[in-house]
This record gives sequence, C-alpha cells and structure tokens, in this order.
Amino acid sequence: LLNTSASLLLVALLVSHMLLTKEGVTSLPICPKGSVSCQLSLEELFDRAVKLSHYIHFLSSEIFNEFDERYAQGRGFIAKAVNSCHTASLTTPEDKEQAQQIHHEDLLNLILGVLRSWNDPLIHLASEVQRIKEAPETILWKAVEIEEQNKRLLEGMEKIVGRVHSGVVENDIYTPWDGLPSLQLADEDSRLFAFYNLLHCLRRDSHKIDNYLKVLKCRLIHDNNC
Amino acid sequence: MDLRHLLFTLALICANDSLSASDDILQRPQISKCRSPEMETFSCFWTAGNFYNLTVPRILQLLYKKSNEEDWKECPDYITSGQNSCYFNASYTSVWTPYCVQLASKKEVYDKKCFSVDEIVLPDPPVHLNWTLLNTSQTGIHGDIQVRWDPPPTADVRKGWITLEYELQYKEVNETKWNELKPRLSTMAPLYSLKTARDYEIRIRSRQRTSEKFGEFSEILYVSFSQIGIGCDHCTEEVEFPWFLVVVFGVCGLAVTVISIMLSKQPRLKMLIFPPVPVPKIKGIDPDLLKKGKLDEVNSILACHDSYKAQLYCDDLWVEFIELDIEDPEEKNRASDTDRLLSEDDLKSHSCLGTKDDDSGRASCCEPDIPETDFSASDTCDATSDSDQFKKATEKEEDLLCLERQDNDESLPDLASTDPQHQHRNTESENSSVWAPFEDSVESPHLSVHTQISNQNSLTSTDFYAQVSDITPAGRVVLSPGQKSKLGRAQREGCTEQNFTMDNTYFCEADVKKCIAVTSQEENEPRVQEQGYNEDGYFTTESLTTTVANLGAPTAAAPSSEMPVADYTSIHIVQSPQGLVLNATALPVPDKEFNVSCGYVSTDQLNKIMP
Repeated sequence: LLNTSASLLLVALLVSHMLLTKEGVTSLPICPKGSVSCQLSLEELFDRAVKLSHYIHFLSSEIFNEFDERYAQGRGFIAKAVNSCHTASLTTPEDKEQAQQIHHEDLLNLILGVLRSWNDPLIHLASEVQRIKEAPETILWKAVEIEEQNKRLLEGMEKIVGRVHSGVVENDIYTPWDGLPSLQLADEDSRLFAFYNLLHCLRRDSHKIDNYLKVLKCRLIHDNNC
Repeated sequence: MDLRHLLFTLALICANDSLSASDDILQRPQISKCRSPEMETFSCFWTAGNFYNLTVPRILQLLYKKSNEEDWKECPDYITSGQNSCYFNASYTSVWTPYCVQLASKKEVYDKKCFSVDEIVLPDPPVHLNWTLLNTSQTGIHGDIQVRWDPPPTADVRKGWITLEYELQYKEVNETKWNELKPRLSTMAPLYSLKTARDYEIRIRSRQRTSEKFGEFSEILYVSFSQIGIGCDHCTEEVEFPWFLVVVFGVCGLAVTVISIMLSKQPRLKMLIFPPVPVPKIKGIDPDLLKKGKLDEVNSILACHDSYKAQLYCDDLWVEFIELDIEDPEEKNRASDTDRLLSEDDLKSHSCLGTKDDDSGRASCCEPDIPETDFSASDTCDATSDSDQFKKATEKEEDLLCLERQDNDESLPDLASTDPQHQHRNTESENSSVWAPFEDSVESPHLSVHTQISNQNSLTSTDFYAQVSDITPAGRVVLSPGQKSKLGRAQREGCTEQNFTMDNTYFCEADVKKCIAVTSQEENEPRVQEQGYNEDGYFTTESLTTTVANLGAPTAAAPSSEMPVADYTSIHIVQSPQGLVLNATALPVPDKEFNVSCGYVSTDQLNKIMP
C-alpha cells in the first residue's frame, strides 16, 4: 500500500512538473493568487503590455473603420480632418529620432500620462455610443472592450514603471478631457462628428502607445535587436 | 450649291466630333497616392493630366501644410522619388501629425489630400528569399521545404519602430492561380507536400501589422527539386485511386446482392430488406367494388363514415352559412330551429359535436341531420366501430348532463335572469343588425344554447368553442367568427399584481373581490383597450388574470365597433365532480350576493362579482 501511494504521488508530482514547465506554451506563467513574493520578470511584463497595446490599437482601428463606413459617408468629416486631440498638449516623440533620444523613464511617464488621459473619455465613449441611433452591436461591444483593456494596460504600465523607475514616480502628466458635451449634442451631425473625431484620436494615440512600447521593449529587453 | 452645302456640313460635323473626342480625354491633374515605406519618410505622387498649357514643366506645384501651421509650403524635393513626385525626408516627417498636400498651379488648385503618416505606411518588399529542403516522402514524389527571407532593409524592425507581417504565395510554374499562406510575423515559412517533379514559384509581400494594405511583392523565388538532385523523372505518373474500377465492381456487387435477395425463398429476409408497400385501403370497402365501378354501393358505405360526410359538405357549409346570414334574415325568426337543435335529437347530434376537436372546423360543421342518415344507413353499414364510438360519446354526454344539471339547478335561475340582461346589452352593443331579431324570442333557448355549448366544450375538454349566432331553417348551426375581447382597460397595477393562485383550476372569491375593490374605484374609460386579446374570441383561464384585472368598463357606457360582445361562456376544464372552471366574460353584472365556497367560480357568479 505504501508503495502504490508513493508511486502515485511521484507520478502526480512528475505530471504537475511537466505541465508547469511545458515549453512552447503561449500563455505566460501565472503568479498564484495571494503570493507576495512571486514576481513576473520585466520581460514578461513588457510582453503582456505590448500584446495589450496591440490589441487596443487593433480594436480602435476597427471601431473607427466601422464608424466611418456607417455614419461618416457623405458627411464630409474627412474634409474637417485637421482636428486636434485633447492629448495634443502632451509633447510626445513624433519620429524615430526623437523616440530614440528620449530617456526611457520619460517615455514611460509619457505613456502613462496618455493612458490616464484616455481613461475618462473611454468611459464616456462606451456609455454615449449606446445612445447613437441604431448603433451596431460590434461598435458597442468594441467601445466597452477598449475601455476595459485600457484599464488593464494602465495597471500593467504602472507595475512596469514601479520596476524600472529609480526615483519617485511622477503622476502629473495628464490632460483633462472636456469633450463630453460634444458627444451629447442634440444636432445629430455635430454629435456624429464629435464621435468621429474622438475615434480618430483614439486610433492615433493607441498607435503611438503601441509603437512606444515596442521601441521600449526592443531597447530595454532585447538591446535594440528585436 | 447643294453639294457644297453638304460638304460643308459634313466637314463641320467631323470637326465637331474630333473636338469633342479630345475633350473626353482631357484629365485634371490629381494626386494619385502618398506613401511611407518605413514611417520615417514619405512621398506623394501625382498625374499631370493632359491640359494643354501644362506641357511646360514645373508649373505644377505640390504644397503642404502641417495641421498646426498656417502657410502652405512648397515640396522640398521633387527629384528623389522620380517624376511627378515629392519626397519628404525624415526631417520633414512627423508621424502622427496631420498633413494636407495640394496640387496646384499659380492660378488653380487641382487636388488636395489630408492624411497622417501612420495611415499611409506601405512597406517595401522582403529581400533575400531562399529555400532549403526539409525532407522528402518515402516514394520521393513529395517534399517539404523551408522558405526564409529578410525584412525590407528600409524598415527598422530591429529597434521595434515598425512591426511587419508577411504573406507568402506560391504556385506551380504553369499554373495561373496563386496559393496563399496566412500572414505571419516570422521571416520563415514551411511549405509541405510539394511535388518534386514540378517546379514552383514563390513570392512574398509585407505590411505593417495593424494595417490592411500590403506593399509590393518581392522578386519571385524559383524552386526546382531537380537542381539538388531530388527530382524523380519517372515518378511523373502518379498512382491515382482507381475510381473507375471501384464504381464498376461496386455496382456489380450491389446488383448481385439485390437479385439474390429478391429471388431468395426466405420471406423474412425479403420482408426485412424490401418491406411491402401499403396499398390504399378504406375500412369496410372491398377494392373490387371500386374496380367494378359500383359507385352507389360505395357511396352508401362511405356514408357511414362521419369524416367522409364532413369532408363532402364541410367547406361548402361555411360558404353557405355566410351567404345565408346576409340574405335571409327572416329565416332566423323561427325559434323552432333552435328548438330542433336543442331537442332530444341532441343526443344523436352529439356524435357529431362530440368528435374530437381539431382546428379543421369540422366539429362545427356537422349537420344535425347527419346522425339521422347514420341510423338509416346502418343496415348497409358494416363498420361497427362507428357505432361503438357513437355510444361512447353518448355515455359521456349523459354524465355531463347529470353533472351539469346539478350545477345548473342552482345557477339556472340566475342564468335565466341574467341572460336577458346579457342579451339586452348585447343588442345594444352589437353592431350587426342580424342580431336584433333575437331580442324577443330567446331567453330559454339561449340558456340551453349556453348550456349545450358548454356541454360540448366539456365533452371535448378543450378550449375550442364558438358562439352560436344563428340557426338556419335547415337546422344548421351558424357560428359567429371570433369576437374581440372586451378586456377593457389598460392594465391596472393593483389588480395585475394580485397573486391569484391560478393553478388553472379555480380562484378564490377573496382574491377576486380584492381585485374588484381595486378596479371598482377607477373611472370608466370609454376607450376599450385590449389586453390579453385573443384572436379567436374566447378566453382561457390563463388570460383570466388579466381579464379579471381589466374588468370594470361598463359595457353600456361606450358602445363602439371595438366593443366586443361576449355573451357566452365556456367551460374550460371539468374538475369533476367538484368544479368547473369557466372562462370569465367581460360583462359586468349588477351586484348580487355572491355566495360560493372557494372551490370554483362559475361564470355568472363571476359576473356578479365584477362591478
């Protein structure tokens, strides 16, 4: 009896070991809940952040394209394309040179600032888009999903910043958003243009964040040799 | 002179034609596209069109403006990207800034485009394509290869500034259609099961990962197995599955099997595989009769069957009834018709009425005189099953009559007294003039009609019933089409929230009275709204709750074309021997003493309760 129970235990241990250390699994190792000392490596944190930022940008592209197709045709929104986003006041790198030169801590702070500035607009986007007449289900779902994923990305970035920063974490990079009244205008044309604008800005900013994170990942983790 | 005129007009026409033809070809200059290969620089290209005054070069200018600037600036580099192009190098490029470019001469703006650089990324094609052999199949006919390539040199993938994905396409050399692989991020791809005897072509293109548009294709890579000595020349004839032989042998085998089964002497096997096809057969009729053409005998035999008769007459009956309704109003004055319907002959008629209810309407179509012919034809009738069925029907009928008598002993007087009032209201609110004659003649017959109808319903124990609206001299029953319910008012909150213990058998007086108390105080609405409106004009106990809840609108107050008349009730379920569940009508009844235990409520009693 002892022999069989011992062998069973051994088998169980072996199997669990195999499962836990399986190579080639796409999912990242998970820290068991409640464990204090378990820490994901910086590489894993960046991997997750890049995945999330890519997903958010993908969703933003899709929702913009769908909105454009459905509501913006024939309204000449593109002609008014010289729009300004509420995050324009944040000085972010505009080309590769600037992105190379900026210090990684500053870039991380900027990313955090942009993400925080989008927290509020995304919440209102998710709720106001429901009021658009006959909004397709896909648009509604995507708006909610983007808002959720943005929160998760913000949490992840704060973790990364906590790891990477040597000093005090600055929290003051932030732009408030005052576009809520424009999303609730009575005139349908103006209201739809406000949505178009917001989604256009969202697509642009999500692309920025995705790019910056990839640059940071290649720089910090892979030493500029992705 | 005429000839000259003719020539002149011809010349004019020709000149016109030529001029107009050239007008069609004339095209405006326009910006064809703007493209950035690596998100660091970008170029714009345009077509000059064929305006005659633009043959002088450099008249056309490309002006650009960033979103936060006021002035239009001229293109910094007209040369690097070729003719009719403008190249913006890294110092002029800001990636996420909106740009506007316009194509103009000194006088006129021909075209304008606005974009931002991240939207126009179209990468260059990959370079350095090569392939290696992974393995070959045992027969040497097929082989797997691995294709590798490098990202475009202009794209800075190393520093992560741009992320590319690649799409590989391949085909045999003499094919026309390309096979595509799914876009992938890695710079290598395996191709499986290529034929070593054939040569292949491979090409790859790339795009920025979040874009939709691909860049240009790379140069074509040629794959030839014979070059590395693998090619199998004598393997060109591929062994194909011998479909033809399979089909031939399969058919032969199947034929042999079928024939052997058919010829076999084993009846059981034969029955199993070839079951006998049922031939059409009518009970009690010898097929020989049909063959010999003795239709009279066949008809008489068939007359024993109710269903046959009903089929013969049923559909026509409806039509006749409707017509008679309109055309012969005086026929309905005869009460004898209703008496006839309600007389002792009813027992016989119940075989008809007692047929199982389905939605075919046959039950209502049955003529009272059908059973009589049944009896007369019984001599020739062979079918004993019919008479058995008939007997059963009558037995059931007797039971219910007894039961009904017990209840009606109490309720009959009430019913009688309320009926005239019913009728009175009916005639007031009913639009059809056909009903008017009923006013005088009708008390007891209607009572019995109600009863009979209820009996019928109890017999069938289903929801189906209809109101007898008329009886023709021929003794046919005219049934009225469904009436709208008089479930008057909009839902009253207090009433609908009542938790009637509606287990579909009864509801308590207490509950009903509660509901009444709530609704009685509310004002009468002249407009009748339909709640729980049932198309067929009858109520089920399921709708009873709403019925009860919605009662209260006095019928006399506002007769309108929408005000339905429900002057009948049907028994919904027989809970023998204690109770009958009746469907409530929507007619209110003047207050009377209500004295029944909480076992069941009958219609008239319910009516009494309702204000």
